[in-house]
Amino acid sequence: MKLKSLFSTMALVAGLGLSVPAEAVKLKFKTPEKAPASDEAGAILSVAGVMPSAVLEMTDEPGTWFRDPTDGDALVVVKPGEAVLIKMTDVNAEHTITSLIWQPGAKDFPVDQDKPSTASVTVKFDKPGLYVFTCKVHPYMFGAVIVDDPKTEGLDLGREIQLVTGARVPTTSDIAKKLLRTFFVVTTPSLWRDYTKPVWEVNLPDIPLNLGGTVVSLSALSVSVPNEVFKPKVPGVGEVWVNTQFEKIAGKDKPGSATQLDTATWTIRKKVKGVRIDMNHPHNMWTDRAYRYIYQTEWFDKRLTTFDRKSGDIYSVVTVGQDPSHVITRPGTDTLYVAINGEDRVAKLSPGRNHNLLGSIKVGDHAGPHGHWISDDGKYMVTPNALAAGVSVVDLDSERVTEIPTGGVIPIAVGIRPQGDYAYVANLLGTPPMLASMSVIDLKTKKKIKDIDLAADYDPVSGKTKGPAYGLLPIQTPVSPDGKYVVTANTLSATISIIDTATNRVIKQLPCDPGAHGVEFGFKKGGGYYAYVASKFSNVLTVVDMDTLEIAGRVLLADPTDPDITALNGYGGQGVLPLPLVFHGWLGDTLELSGTGKLDPEVEAWLRELTPEQKGI
Amino acid sequence: MQIRFLLLTILLGIVPPLQAAVHRITLRAVPMPSGQLAYQMVRHQVEDGGRTEDRTGQYASGPTIPGPAIVLTEGDTAYVTLEHGIEGSDLPVSLHVHGVHYPFDSDGTTKVLNGVADHAAFPGKPYTYEWIAAPGTAGTWMYHDHAFGDPKVGAEDKGLFGTLIVNPRSGRVPALIDGKLTQVNLRDVKREFILWMHETTFWGQEINHIVNRQIPLWTNPIVGAREGELVRFHVIGIGTAFHTFHLHGHRWIEPGTTHVVDTVNIGPISRTSFVVRAGEGVGPGDWHYHCHVIQHMQSGMMGKFRVVPRQ
Repeated sequence: MKLKSLFSTMALVAGLGLSVPAEAVKLKFKTPEKAPASDEAGAILSVAGVMPSAVLEMTDEPGTWFRDPTDGDALVVVKPGEAVLIKMTDVNAEHTITSLIWQPGAKDFPVDQDKPSTASVTVKFDKPGLYVFTCKVHPYMFGAVIVDDPKTEGLDLGREIQLVTGARVPTTSDIAKKLLRTFFVVTTPSLWRDYTKPVWEVNLPDIPLNLGGTVVSLSALSVSVPNEVFKPKVPGVGEVWVNTQFEKIAGKDKPGSATQLDTATWTIRKKVKGVRIDMNHPHNMWTDRAYRYIYQTEWFDKRLTTFDRKSGDIYSVVTVGQDPSHVITRPGTDTLYVAINGEDRVAKLSPGRNHNLLGSIKVGDHAGPHGHWISDDGKYMVTPNALAAGVSVVDLDSERVTEIPTGGVIPIAVGIRPQGDYAYVANLLGTPPMLASMSVIDLKTKKKIKDIDLAADYDPVSGKTKGPAYGLLPIQTPVSPDGKYVVTANTLSATISIIDTATNRVIKQLPCDPGAHGVEFGFKKGGGYYAYVASKFSNVLTVVDMDTLEIAGRVLLADPTDPDITALNGYGGQGVLPLPLVFHGWLGDTLELSGTGKLDPEVEAWLRELTPEQKGI
Repeated sequence: MQIRFLLLTILLGIVPPLQAAVHRITLRAVPMPSGQLAYQMVRHQVEDGGRTEDRTGQYASGPTIPGPAIVLTEGDTAYVTLEHGIEGSDLPVSLHVHGVHYPFDSDGTTKVLNGVADHAAFPGKPYTYEWIAAPGTAGTWMYHDHAFGDPKVGAEDKGLFGTLIVNPRSGRVPALIDGKLTQVNLRDVKREFILWMHETTFWGQEINHIVNRQIPLWTNPIVGAREGELVRFHVIGIGTAFHTFHLHGHRWIEPGTTHVVDTVNIGPISRTSFVVRAGEGVGPGDWHYHCHVIQHMQSGMMGKFRVVPRQ
């Protein structure tokens, strides 16, 4: 079978034991028991429904979030007229089953479950070509179906693909190649970028692919890039927490840890793994004003976990709702606001070791809020409503909600200028017809004033660029504490976009890693800021100097000396939390505690290192 | 002990004298091409009053979801042997049956759960279960795996489940016919439709008494009958979801009551069984059946009861 040889070859290339049992391969050829159509004699009047020829089981396993039970990979090959059952098997949270890519004109497409659940679907395919499924809540869970007409040469990908963004592009285009390579990298952990090795090799096997008549080899998508890890010359102030969300830990069923980096030495201090509670996909963090606690969301679960910043001891685990994504506190009150990504609300919790649920703010029907933000003055909260093509602005005093439709596809993260005037909203899948976009929201008028085309300088067919705007699939997008720049991690192009807020234009594009995801600012020693960027499918943290707008360093998040890490060491970089917090609303609350004895001596030392400009004086 | 009990019931005149049949059944658990798992009938022989009947040919020749429907009559005993045919796996696989009586070692659980031994088949080591359809066990039941997979609690979710129907010794079941509560003779029921509700899918099967065969109907099928025919539905839940089974245009009696219903709540491993006269009072048509949980409907959990005109 072509597919199976593809994967066993890939496994050989990658030196991994992804071996496929011969029986599993043979089984694909067995003809299942066929039910008769209506019997001529009239004795049997029933008509059988479809029998799935393949299954994709959704799991919490990094890489194989859609798993073929016969061989464990994330891709099945069927023939035209056959059906695939997609079901949720090994998951703790609710998901959607949604078409990301499909064949133009395919019957009953696109598939889209409008809100998260545990519901399965049986999908029948009439048209040969490539189909990719994802979850709208966790939009890097990928599973693919190739509907291959056995009469044609090579695996049929089709002449064109339809993207959920509304774009329809030839399979020979640069964007299609990027998506295909990304699919193989994302779903094959052995192909993730490993900075403990000198070179990143994505070696794809010589499998013929039929792009609507043009036959090319999958190996044409192979890449080889040198890896360089280097520490920034100027130390930072304090520490950076990074959610290494895919790390596999001994004694846990579910993956993930929080990695604490010391920015004075750029070395790992510890990893909080949550073995006792089986911490599941730790995604995003925040802290209290005294920096005693780390509040940790578990995105593929229902929980918010609170642990001690210094000791890593876990204090509390609170069930808050489906797929809690981000947590942030309100300057002035220290109250927690947790975005419940699988639902339509933000949960409000009391601060401290343990939490009381203080209330819930419904931000819109089926909203699915993901990476929300609160203005420096604590007045407004802005939620990007991933499942509702818009944002909500919440007045935190009255809890009045204003929904603003933006037309963005999967609005995923928000940054707010410290001046409190504009919010920047990254639309993961663009604003049709833009492939990648950032909506600018005026917080006073509560209106969208602009969509910045993040890929304005990119030709999706040829791949040519004519300027710095070529970022694709933007995720986290904070505004620098001086309000000058928006820094955005682009997960598909593996780049970092820097937007000048004076002109709302992309002024710089920096190289990053596959699955670039989390961004946050931290203090640079002696003045200025660093932007820290974490990537899901690499094991480093990229450091950007905000004075020069250049890469200042790449720091390894893997700890090869840790015997408890069984696989995917340092991978899954998502939420980033530098301490001290740079934004003045929060920093001010902490500075007020300075000298009162309520701060740890270590925190007091960090605050002493800050320049007056950094303190906002 | 069981015979003594039966004799006692006969002496008390509770049931007519028994001609208890002995069923010797062999099932095999195998993978489907999709990677799901399923039971397949290998052999079914019935010893009754000195005669042996081979029923193997009545079943689908390959594995099906749901597994082969095993039909017993109150008083019968079945010896069911399970073979392990899951290539590439040496994990145990079993049969755990609901509703009927069985000795402890026919529980179908693993030592982890029962504390004694694995009641399960291993590769090359079949396991035989004894199922006793004692008086009082008439009804529609389920059998499923209780051993495969990690942590050995069973792979019913992957497709290892099937139907056990125990018909009453009397041969009669209550039904609402022409608006009246009537005792229907099961010999007059020509078609039986089995619908398993799993997640957001109906997995169907027909027992057709006209051609004496079981027909796999797979997912969300059309079940068909002729207007005026007596048909029997068996609706069973499995998995974690709760459903409301609704059939358009037909009403029936909630078993054990005189309540007239057209919708039944079905949770995991709960079931209902009822007889209707196809198209009674409403005529032919493609009568919709579906789960009435909106989200399940939206995911396609529906099919049709096709009632064709009388010949």
